[in-house]
Amino acid sequence: MDRPSERIEDTRSGSRGSPSGSMTSAEANAADSFLVRVLRQDGPGLTSYWETHRVAREPDMNCISVLQKIAERAETIEGRRVAPVAWECNCLEEVCGACTMLINGRVRQACTALVDRLLADRPGEIELRPMTKFPVIRDLVVDRSRVFAALRKVKAWVPVDSYLDMGAGPRQSQEDQELAYQYSKCMSCGCCLEACPQFLKIELVRGKGESETDFRRRLDEANRQAFLGAHAIAQVELFNLNPIGSMTARQRLDVLTGEGGVQICGKAQNCVKVCPKGIPLTTAIARANRAAVRHVVRKWFDL
Amino acid sequence: MEASRLTSLFGRHDFAIRRLHSLLGLMPIGGYLVFHLATNAAIIDGPEAYQHRADQLHKLGLTTIVVLEWSLIFLPILFHGIVGLMIVSRGKRNVLNYPYADNWRYTLQRLSGVVAFAFIVWHVFDLHGWLRWSWWVENVARPLGGARFMAEEAPATASAAIGRAWWVIAFYAVGVTASVYHLANGLWTMGMTWGLWTSQAARRRMNLPCAAVGIVLLVVGLGALGAMVRAGRLSNLPDGAAGPVRSAPAPAADHASPRVLGSAR
Amino acid sequence: MPVPRVVIIGGGLAGSAAAMKLAELEFDVSVVSLTPLKRSHSACAQGGINSVNDLTRQLGDSEWKHFDDTVYGGDFLQHQPPVKAMADWAPRIIDLMDRLGVTFNRTPEGFRDQRRFGGTLYRRTAFAGATTGQQLLYALDEQVRRWECAGRVKKYESADFLGLALDDHGRACGCVVQDIQSMEIFTLPADAVIIASGGCGALFGRSTNSMACLGSAVSRVFQQGARYANGEFIQVHPTAIPGADKLRLISESARGEGGRVWVPRRPQDPRRPQDIPESERYYFLEDRYPKYGNLVPRDIATREIFRICIEDGLSVQADRMCVYLDVTHLPRDVLDRKLAGILEIYEKFQGADPRTAPMKIFPAVHYTMGGLWCDYERTNDGELVVGSPRNQQTNIPGLYAIGECDYQFHGANRLGANSLIACIFSGVTVAPGIAAYVDAQQRRPAETPASVFEQSRRAHQEQYDRLIARGGDGPNPYRLHQQLGAAMTRAATVIRRNAELDAAYQEVCALEEQSQRAAVADRSGWANQNAVFVRALADMFPLAKTILRGARLRDECRGAHYKPEFEMPAVDSNDPQQRKLQAERWCDVFEENNRRWLKTTVASWSSERQPEICYEPVDTSLIPPRPRLYGLAGADVIEQAWRTRQSRRELQPLVHVEP
Repeated sequence: MDRPSERIEDTRSGSRGSPSGSMTSAEANAADSFLVRVLRQDGPGLTSYWETHRVAREPDMNCISVLQKIAERAETIEGRRVAPVAWECNCLEEVCGACTMLINGRVRQACTALVDRLLADRPGEIELRPMTKFPVIRDLVVDRSRVFAALRKVKAWVPVDSYLDMGAGPRQSQEDQELAYQYSKCMSCGCCLEACPQFLKIELVRGKGESETDFRRRLDEANRQAFLGAHAIAQVELFNLNPIGSMTARQRLDVLTGEGGVQICGKAQNCVKVCPKGIPLTTAIARANRAAVRHVVRKWFDL
Repeated sequence: MEASRLTSLFGRHDFAIRRLHSLLGLMPIGGYLVFHLATNAAIIDGPEAYQHRADQLHKLGLTTIVVLEWSLIFLPILFHGIVGLMIVSRGKRNVLNYPYADNWRYTLQRLSGVVAFAFIVWHVFDLHGWLRWSWWVENVARPLGGARFMAEEAPATASAAIGRAWWVIAFYAVGVTASVYHLANGLWTMGMTWGLWTSQAARRRMNLPCAAVGIVLLVVGLGALGAMVRAGRLSNLPDGAAGPVRSAPAPAADHASPRVLGSAR
Repeated sequence: MPVPRVVIIGGGLAGSAAAMKLAELEFDVSVVSLTPLKRSHSACAQGGINSVNDLTRQLGDSEWKHFDDTVYGGDFLQHQPPVKAMADWAPRIIDLMDRLGVTFNRTPEGFRDQRRFGGTLYRRTAFAGATTGQQLLYALDEQVRRWECAGRVKKYESADFLGLALDDHGRACGCVVQDIQSMEIFTLPADAVIIASGGCGALFGRSTNSMACLGSAVSRVFQQGARYANGEFIQVHPTAIPGADKLRLISESARGEGGRVWVPRRPQDPRRPQDIPESERYYFLEDRYPKYGNLVPRDIATREIFRICIEDGLSVQADRMCVYLDVTHLPRDVLDRKLAGILEIYEKFQGADPRTAPMKIFPAVHYTMGGLWCDYERTNDGELVVGSPRNQQTNIPGLYAIGECDYQFHGANRLGANSLIACIFSGVTVAPGIAAYVDAQQRRPAETPASVFEQSRRAHQEQYDRLIARGGDGPNPYRLHQQLGAAMTRAATVIRRNAELDAAYQEVCALEEQSQRAAVADRSGWANQNAVFVRALADMFPLAKTILRGARLRDECRGAHYKPEFEMPAVDSNDPQQRKLQAERWCDVFEENNRRWLKTTVASWSSERQPEICYEPVDTSLIPPRPRLYGLAGADVIEQAWRTRQSRRELQPLVHVEP
């Protein structure tokens, strides 16, 4: 693996060290450019380091276009050529959830993080970091497979008999549809998990001599024990609300009241604040709690 | 191996443990806190009222008291406190990055829980001595400065203990405030834990009653504390102008011994 | 007998639908995708999904009418049997999606609600809020996850498809794939391979497509011998927000509710739009089309906005083409009640409130009607033989194409809300066909000797090693991509002129030459996005050239393909007699056009790295072509003239065209 040999410990001292001639030109274009501090990491388990890029300011920029410009130029403010910053994105319309990262310390999608607003809040500089609750793959790319593992764990699907033609699905009230639609907009971006103080990072390192399968098994076990998170609890609500899904509601409630279940929620309620889709996650949690209590009581008394 | 078996045991029963933790917070711990603060508040009406209340309680008889205080107070608090510390240790607070009101409440709930637990452990030792076993009281609790309270001399011993230094008063104020916050906010989160208030509107509405409970309890608790400190100041006046406060007896052990389990020789 | 295996490239609506159905048919399925399935581009579809339903049926609608609307909207360039089958199956597919838990909007009685969409008179479109595509995708993604738990599906969700493995019969027997984290290159043997990788918006630089819509998988099989059809048909949506990173759709309902389109009369007027007085605004749509005003049909709106910016130089901004779409004059309650969703999108991405300042919009490349050529089997009555191994199969045996990357369903222009149904339909119905294909094979392709796979793996490994060794000194790949996008957008989107297409072809060839040397700044052997992009960039050129060549050769106007040099004659006389003659002339040109150009453009990649184009007759056996007259001036007389001609012709027997 090729890694930059030099790492900048303090980017500010780096820029102070530049010759005075370029300082004036830097000052001159300070108004139409800004700095982007990126926390980079070359691979899993490696040390992270800050890197600063200067980006020319253009109208209607968001953090995606900032990263595109960085990729295009791939040069730090010290003039060092570097590999383009790696990041994940796809739809750029805030429906795919891919480009989630910490922007000025707050978790959100890069596509809706508008440069003009960020610079109004914090002039001159934007800070980009990978999410902290997931293992870093490279730079701003993190491994969110745990988010999908949670969906597998709670059996987040409608268990239909077959895909043959069996007529329409059951009817549903407008009220139920409206609630279900809210939950169903979840794009598994992980914002709720990043902001949740009860959701902790799992980063396992494959041991020497440990086979891929053994490592996977260990990771699955760690995921199984750990907190599901708000998104998966909302998916339990979604599928238990569905007329067909409700037929297997007990299976999902077993997961919900098992290890890593809904009981871990600490009611900090950051999830609902940071959710880019405005999903009523705390309502889902409260409803899931009600169902969980009822489920456990029923099981206890064999009702 | 043992440790992992223990974790998996806790893991499998995590739901039950946390629900029990939540339930105990309300009953008996929350209930007891209300009762305790209300009892203390008798000092506001004067030392006799306070002594009267203490006498009433101690009429239950030693065995009953010991059974009740362990089953309804100490063990629940220990369980709630230890599980609580585990919960705190398994969270990663982030209120500086996400400074939302609810996140502050979450953080304060943990902080107040830790403070209240530490306070209660200390407070029980300081006044009660933890155990009513006379050997313990004589040889451990008293020499370490604990077990200062005596039911026969309730106002005097209590006010002397609480008013003995500024930091003790301050610790009491902090401890009472933390306990009250923890209960009031805990009441609200409990509604979510048990699915009592599920919609956002309901949850917002329930803030009010929970806050009201907290404020009333805080007023009662801090009022009693103030009255207690004032009572102590009056009794310490050199000319005895404090009025009918019974003076603290010098060798407290004699009075305490009848209420201590196991006889000291 | 071992379980037959299928590899699916792409996990959007079509790919997920196929994976789910194949898993049910007890196939061993692998899905290869650049992104987690749930993050596929299908999530971007907003409007809805079309099918006849119990409600419209009672108002006279039928599967036939849905079919008719689709081929009419596509200017009759589709083979009709698959399109008819799609319309026939659509109601059952919606029912299935309903059972899978898609949160379709409901009526008070609890039935699925429907809305009306462009190109039809019926409320045929089921929808789930403003994110129908997302909801459909999620329902399928959930089913695939269910099969994943059952061990029937394996997902490779950060993997790049590099190419097919072909056995000695020329059958697809698997593919070579690179994990884009570990950068490991490996092979997946399979009995059949499905390409479901979506459109190729990336060829146009910025479009409404997602970043993974690179067209690279399609291009790679095209370069391996698969044919590409109707490449020149690219749908452009008139109103999108031109962002620095992508172009985001603004629904037509903004104009429907009374939004006005204008530009300042002074080019690049520096004043705020609110400060520009009425007299200095040019409401060009209202001025040029007094009858329809801002509600001219989609393609006309697109062309006029394009013209005002590019030919008249009246773009609001000099550096970025755009015009104003103004809703500030509308009452607040209309804005909040009817347009809230749209205004929210604008606000979110532009940071400006369209209630107080007009929106800046511009047409954007939206959908790839063309795609991999694929086959179908028809009965003598022109019905599709459902379950035939030929359906959706490309000219490479065992290679199938479904979804946006096949060419079959939309002809020269796609009807709104038809893409979702086409994706799911092709995905679900390809499965029994593949089962039949696999059953018919004497020796299973997946059992091809390991040496064949190892050979193709090594070839790709060497290619990648050379790419990485190239170093960072060549032309900047991101800038090359921008230049390619600019050239394609200029020449091959809304208005096409032969001279410009020729020039663009030259330019694209020059860029292609540079792309072979493009810098690879990142030499890391881990999660190297830079190298993956440079490789994808090189694969954009074959498709770009195919689109340009197809557009250059097609000297007519059809659907989304518009050449002013070959515009239909105008019917503009005020004299009724003259007008009739003009209409007759119009019909003559129309028929002549159809004789020459009612043909599928089929491209294959030559050894000289050029597209070779030939034409194939279109199966119009079910609905004979007729003039497509949405909002056209003189539509009434043309229709009259056409009807007379048809009734005269009905005396003669109909001629069936074999595909």
